[in-house]
Amino acid sequence: METLTLMKLVFDTLLAGAILFIAYKTLTCKDLFQAIVFFIVFGLLISVAWGRLGAYDVAMAEVVIGAGLTGALLLSALVKLKKMHIY
Amino acid sequence: MNTLLLYPLTGIGLFCIGLYALILQPHLLRKLLAINIMGSGVFLLLVSLSLPGISVQQDPVPQAMVITGIVVAISATALALVFMIKIAAKTGKAELSNLEKE
Repeated sequence: METLTLMKLVFDTLLAGAILFIAYKTLTCKDLFQAIVFFIVFGLLISVAWGRLGAYDVAMAEVVIGAGLTGALLLSALVKLKKMHIY
Repeated sequence: MNTLLLYPLTGIGLFCIGLYALILQPHLLRKLLAINIMGSGVFLLLVSLSLPGISVQQDPVPQAMVITGIVVAISATALALVFMIKIAAKTGKAELSNLEKE
């Protein structure tokens, strides 16, 4: 029982640190394509956090809409910007 | 200390990082990512404060509100991306800070 509580604490701490680090990298890295890929990874990590919080329906909606659909929209907009030679 | 208290703190941190980048980064796509991250921070705060370990019993209303909020956030993101492409086609730049000088 004691080890289970400790493992939960370690998992929560690692997950929270990873979410904050990926969010920081999303907003500060130089390349825009890299930023979008970091944003998709951020959506997946936050859906793991929602599974940990017990909100499974929110996790499903986030992983489909927040990570998948938003990532596709952002990538298509970036491709349109690059076709206009604006960067 | 309850370990689930980590998640509200993470939500507050996400909101602060997003606000910082929204003010400082000039590129419009980066500002849009910052708004999305701020929204995720607010959702995380809203869901994690309604847990049975922290409040008295689990409340299903914040989860329903967060699902609605995710859908609204993606529609607002799509509208903002269209606006960004229109601005880039009209001015030749996708940055906000250089628009004021011209």
